[in-house]
Amino acid sequence: MATCAILAEELSRRFDGRLAVDRLSLAVYEGEVFGFLGPNGAGKTTTVRMLAGLIAPTSGRALIAGVDVVAEPQRVRSLVGVLTESPGLYEKLSVWQNLQFYADLYGLAPSTPQIERYLRLFDLWERRFDPVSALSKGMKQKLALARSLLHDPKVLFLDEPTAGLDPEAAKTVRDLIAALSQERRTIFLCTHNLHEAEQLCDRIGLIKQRLLKVGTPHQLKRELYGHQIVVDLKKPLESLDSQLNLPFVKGLRVEQTRLVIELENPQEQNPLLVRRLVELGAEIQFVREADRSLEDVYLQLVREESL
Amino acid sequence: MRRVWVVVLKEWREALKGGKLLWVGTVALPVILLGISVYMMLSVGDLSALEDEDLKMVLHTLFSVFLLYFMLFPMIIPNAISVYAIMSEKEQKSLEPLLATPLQTWELFLAKVLSAVIPAVVITWATFGVFVLIVGQMLPAGLWEIVWRDFGIAALVTLVLFAPLASVFVTMTSMAIATRTSDARSAQLLSSFVVLPIALWALVSIYQNALLQPANLVGVSLLLLGLNIVLLKIAVRLFRREEILTRWR
Repeated sequence: MATCAILAEELSRRFDGRLAVDRLSLAVYEGEVFGFLGPNGAGKTTTVRMLAGLIAPTSGRALIAGVDVVAEPQRVRSLVGVLTESPGLYEKLSVWQNLQFYADLYGLAPSTPQIERYLRLFDLWERRFDPVSALSKGMKQKLALARSLLHDPKVLFLDEPTAGLDPEAAKTVRDLIAALSQERRTIFLCTHNLHEAEQLCDRIGLIKQRLLKVGTPHQLKRELYGHQIVVDLKKPLESLDSQLNLPFVKGLRVEQTRLVIELENPQEQNPLLVRRLVELGAEIQFVREADRSLEDVYLQLVREESL
Repeated sequence: MRRVWVVVLKEWREALKGGKLLWVGTVALPVILLGISVYMMLSVGDLSALEDEDLKMVLHTLFSVFLLYFMLFPMIIPNAISVYAIMSEKEQKSLEPLLATPLQTWELFLAKVLSAVIPAVVITWATFGVFVLIVGQMLPAGLWEIVWRDFGIAALVTLVLFAPLASVFVTMTSMAIATRTSDARSAQLLSSFVVLPIALWALVSIYQNALLQPANLVGVSLLLLGLNIVLLKIAVRLFRREEILTRWR
């Protein structure tokens, strides 16, 4: 059975009476990349701050690698690495001095091999004596990521790691995250980039004050749109609506030569549907599951929650 | 305490790469005031030619002004450092990653205070040392003993008691102001007003010939101690992790 790296139970947080996070319960397993999605102000950063031992929850509890965030916040902070939304580096200090400072705070001794390892990994070795102010945005983000990894944390919280980066730098950071997940680190990834979440995450949680849904990207899509199939025809069929006459067809949309059909149980009913379409004279080119993006799932859930 | 010193050293590294204001406060100001002291000593002419009463009056006036300098050093120097220590963290948005480490908020607070107070006190003492060497050379033979007898205790009270307490007072006030201010210039300006009541008291004391009285200096030092205790209570509130993360903007 997989070990739980992050466990939250009924975690809530209020700020001056305003509810920021509402009874969030969640389990993230060791080595998992967990995507945390939600609109601005949905409570993502507050959740990360609670889980990383930066602020205390108003109620509920959370464990990081079995350590209680309320009872032992300092120990939790030594177990986790946090990449905040802005890199928050000391601009006047050099690349090396920035990492050395954090290595000293974590009490790493000797720290030099660890600093060198990450500077080389992130292609910053040649720039180690440069002041941080001389680095590009992408380099700063990589340095901030190196800083969050320096003490070899079990759990890594990444808040918008690719926000504001150019496509090349964003890809570099994404590749790094993918590489880190190969090292069996637990990664909690807050992002607005749904494509990124779909690409990197094993499971995804959608939050808007409360946790709306949790699942793999595939599960989430199936849950909302999984009963839709797409049939591509060679040429359009006339008055299909009235002729199809199959009781298990729950919905039909005709887009010229493309039919988007909602079924009760596609696996069972697809052969019957295909036979019926052929009887009606359809020349079928392809039959496939409706291809919905995570963005569709996200937008639908957030919209439903707003209603 | 290990983490406190790690942060203190980082503060000093950053401060050394800081702006002109910092160098003016820490190096240029002592040099200028030492220059003025030497000029004043030279401008009074030959002290050995003065009558006892005149000599006593001249020395009293001179050393009241000199003492005022050594009261101002520990208040002016930390102002620049402590405002910078908070404002740079705010401007660079470096507080959240810092608070995500095992560093505790009291350690952060203590480090910020020490990083401003230590240089202020050390510079004050070092400047005093240079001052003693220069003035000692300039005073006619035998006069240094008289100066030391009459003003030595006041100087010691100023250096050992007043300087650290005044330095802590200005540091904590500047830090409290900087936590509530969005730009360094206004923080600097507002916190510079903190020095005014003490400077005013010192000037009035000079006018009343009371500045060099040790009892007077001990009294104001005790007042500073009381104020520091109140400020510490305010600082404990301001330096709560949640306060820093949610209200320091």
